[in-house]
Amino acid sequence: MLNRPKPWQKGVFIVLGTLIGLWSAVPIAWMLITSFKPQQAIRTSDVVLFFTPTMENYRNLFFGGNRVGSFLVNSLLVAIISTFIALALGSLAGYGMAHWRSRHKKDVSFWILSTRMAPIAAVIVPLFVMFRVAGLVNTIPGLILAVLSFNLPFAIWLMNAFFHQVPRSIEEAAMVDGCSKMRAFWNVALPVTRPGLITTAVLCLVFAWNDYAFATSLGGPQSSTLPTAAGALVTQAGIDWGLLCALGIVIALPMLIAGLAVRRHLVTGLSLGAVTGE
Amino acid sequence: VSSAVVTEEEVVAPPVEEKGKPPKEPRGFKTFEFALMAPTLALLALLSIVPFFTLIAMSFSDVRTLGRIRLQFTGLENWVDVFTNPAFWASWGRSLIYFTSIIVLEMVLGFVFAVVLNNLIRGRSILLSIVLLPMFLAPVMVGLLSRFMLDSTIGLYANIMQAVGLDTDVFANPRTAMPAVILIDVWEWTPLVALIMLAGITSVPPSTLEAAAVDGAGFFRSLINIVIPQMKAVILVALLVRSMDAIRYFDVITATTNGGPADATKIIPIRLYEMAFRFSNQIGQAAVVGLTMLIFSIALANVFVRVFGDREVARAHVAGGAH
Repeated sequence: MLNRPKPWQKGVFIVLGTLIGLWSAVPIAWMLITSFKPQQAIRTSDVVLFFTPTMENYRNLFFGGNRVGSFLVNSLLVAIISTFIALALGSLAGYGMAHWRSRHKKDVSFWILSTRMAPIAAVIVPLFVMFRVAGLVNTIPGLILAVLSFNLPFAIWLMNAFFHQVPRSIEEAAMVDGCSKMRAFWNVALPVTRPGLITTAVLCLVFAWNDYAFATSLGGPQSSTLPTAAGALVTQAGIDWGLLCALGIVIALPMLIAGLAVRRHLVTGLSLGAVTGE
Repeated sequence: VSSAVVTEEEVVAPPVEEKGKPPKEPRGFKTFEFALMAPTLALLALLSIVPFFTLIAMSFSDVRTLGRIRLQFTGLENWVDVFTNPAFWASWGRSLIYFTSIIVLEMVLGFVFAVVLNNLIRGRSILLSIVLLPMFLAPVMVGLLSRFMLDSTIGLYANIMQAVGLDTDVFANPRTAMPAVILIDVWEWTPLVALIMLAGITSVPPSTLEAAAVDGAGFFRSLINIVIPQMKAVILVALLVRSMDAIRYFDVITATTNGGPADATKIIPIRLYEMAFRFSNQIGQAAVVGLTMLIFSIALANVFVRVFGDREVARAHVAGGAH
């Protein structure tokens, strides 16, 4: 609370808040509305707000000429498996990092962070060559590995930040009671960081699900994901906006729900643990 | 608080127990902690160190990708070609304009968003949820959605722009294409800055503000003299997080202008991608461009680690964070 605002200031904030809400929400709301519009209500320069909603676009998406069912399966496989691996390996390594004592610790943490920060375009080029040699181009395992190239360091770094927040005394107390280090990790530290685990999982899922650059350049017909399908809907012949909006909703909805579910911890997750809360 | 008290010596011998003192914790690589990290770090090495050296090898080679992959050593040829190409420097120049505009706009708008959110008594929680929505969308989808919104015949925003007499074909005009892709990124990522800034604002103790109010400080005075100075760490976090992601993503441009028109939006990752995948004989040169990008992001990572290393800098919580 910034002092007690005067009544006119209150009014200004309400107006500004409304504007900010509209700025953020209108394109997404418009995508949602359009996805239920019949073609003639989309292909017009008039702003059509009243129309009979139709499931036509969604039906076309799953049963029409450009069906996306297999893309959805690929997306789910890549996102879920890569998230699971990132979370499992990332929490082990993150815990190790949080307690590891070594003069090389700074170097290792720098390496992890710079891997996460590496520009995607610069990583794709060598991965493409490596994957070609290893026969991983256009395969699901290849795409999972590519996604891990940014989600694994992210998970390590973030879980490390969350494990840092666990009071050392809890684990020490457990070890005094005869707990092994492994048990202290598994039975004490891990349950305490459950919100951290969930936040890390959700963010890994979002990054993997939304990836487009890796999926288009390392993928192919066998491993195309939903964002690739969205890109492929743009053709010389024109764009079926109704179909695209429906696909946009299918891609966005699960991530919006998952993201808002961990809203309280988002700030820690997205600032790579630099801002910690509560 | 970090438990890592880093001293310069590494204890190799088993810890000597001193009377009355607990045994020293073992350090270095032969420890339980490192054993937990080892498998992950091995995989990470495969996904980061191996590509890094591959990239370096490629930058000194003629890379053939038709049929079997072949690298033929050509010395500094790629490096000379890239560095003497004015289009490469033009791309970096555009990238700097793009990055600076994005960062400045997002920092300023993010701060405004956070102040507004913080001062709303009712509806704060729901507005925060709405504000956060754009950043969960796939960037490529954000690009396609903005093409829809700005389509000169059927776009909702294009209609509004037309009504106030603005040029609507924004992606086809070299003068408006860059501002358009900048604003699209600002739309998607200002929420992240706002979220971080809000955490900073709400962590300023109310008692400090009350004291200022008693002393007669107005709204803007206390904002500038009390809140902003206390938010320094949080502002720096937002700045670094956005800087590193601004160079990482290029999906929005791929989906809208793809570098055009007349190279107006051809920032460095777009040029790299084009070199690597559209003209495959230039993949060695793409590796050189990739290395220049890596240097940029490694410098940023260095700043980040130096500032936020392994301690918590900004302890804050998002008020109104209840679901």
